[in-house]
Amino acid sequence: MNSKITYSEHELVTSLQQRNEKAFGYLYDNYSGALYGIVNSIVTDKEIANDVLQNVFVNIWRKIESYDPAKGRLFTWMLNIARNAAIDEVRSKGFRDSQKNQSLSENVDTGAVTGPAVDDVGLRKVLTRLKGELRILVDLSYFQGFTHEEISKALNIPLGTVKTRIRSALIQLRTMIQ
Amino acid sequence: MNTQEYISSGIVESYVLGLASAEERREFESMCLQYPEVLQARVEFEVAMEKQALNNALAPDPGLKNKIFEQIRQSGNQLSGNSAPVKYLNWLKYAAAACFILLAGSLYWNISLYNKNKKLKVDYTNTVAKLDEIENEIQLITNNPNVKMASMKGLDPSPQSYATVYWDTTSHDVYLMLNNLPKPPSDRQYQLWALMDGKPIDVGLIDNDYFIKETRLLVKAKNVQNAQAFAITLEKKDRPDVSIPQGTMYVLGNL
Repeated sequence: MNSKITYSEHELVTSLQQRNEKAFGYLYDNYSGALYGIVNSIVTDKEIANDVLQNVFVNIWRKIESYDPAKGRLFTWMLNIARNAAIDEVRSKGFRDSQKNQSLSENVDTGAVTGPAVDDVGLRKVLTRLKGELRILVDLSYFQGFTHEEISKALNIPLGTVKTRIRSALIQLRTMIQ
Repeated sequence: MNTQEYISSGIVESYVLGLASAEERREFESMCLQYPEVLQARVEFEVAMEKQALNNALAPDPGLKNKIFEQIRQSGNQLSGNSAPVKYLNWLKYAAAACFILLAGSLYWNISLYNKNKKLKVDYTNTVAKLDEIENEIQLITNNPNVKMASMKGLDPSPQSYATVYWDTTSHDVYLMLNNLPKPPSDRQYQLWALMDGKPIDVGLIDNDYFIKETRLLVKAKNVQNAQAFAITLEKKDRPDVSIPQGTMYVLGNL
């Protein structure tokens, strides 16, 4: 990895699908920090976040065959693997036992919707700039992985309204990160 | 459908961030194939997300990369990353080696025990035979009312010495029990005498082996027709006439 090889996305994907360890090393060197940032915005415990990231990269290595470039960029695919792995960890029994989890409705009632992660990391930092209700919706859906239906029931808002509000929150997020 | 309206509906972000429903995803994917501007909007947001994530990167544990490589190498391309079979084989290997060593050790132990046992059996048989012989002799003497006993006490050269003579008055057999006599020098030899009317009668030279090996307590001596007392003297070895005592008397006892 010392020699400055750069891969085009197509080359990188092809090399990974051929089980090229050098390409995998390149992938880790260039993206582990970004993916760790995402994992860390959902799982704040450093040790657990590292375990999650390890599983994320092992899964990337194993599932690279199923990556379809027509459906999105490689990073988008990896980002979603990382986010799902982190949410699965937070929702796992072991994590809940250690974190004294609150149910969704309890979260909303007490207004403690920021979840387990801190607000000054990555996307969450952007999130703080959203106004109240939109921030809650993005947090619940993106960072905590609740479905629109679950949010609709918990907040007693019609499903269509949840959908449109999340969409408008995401549009605001887009302008903030671009 | 107005593609610009579709693009700005939030579906792009929803799709890229993984929040779209299955139906929304299918629709969006077909829109991307149909309308290049939809695809372009998707790629633009993806690049923006990637940049944002790279700008907010955090360093994981320095050792994590090696752990990941270890894990992918261990499990190869298989879906199961379980390394248990390898560990199990290693365990089996060591267990087999340990069993072999134990078996070899046990075999050696058994063979040496078998040999030892065989030798002990022979020794035991010999000892029992010897003991039987001695017991027979003793019984012959002690249970026989015709046998007279002479306890010979130590004299000046060795006051603590002590020996016993059993004399069968009918068969005239003489048995000597060497209870306690000092070991003779190699050029000397003990000799047993019967005393009759003050005259010594030779009853036999006592082999020095009895004192070296101590294999026998009871020694059969020559027959003697008549005796009033018995004595043992220490004589020079290989003297020409053994019928006359010349050495020092060690023990003496009357019948």
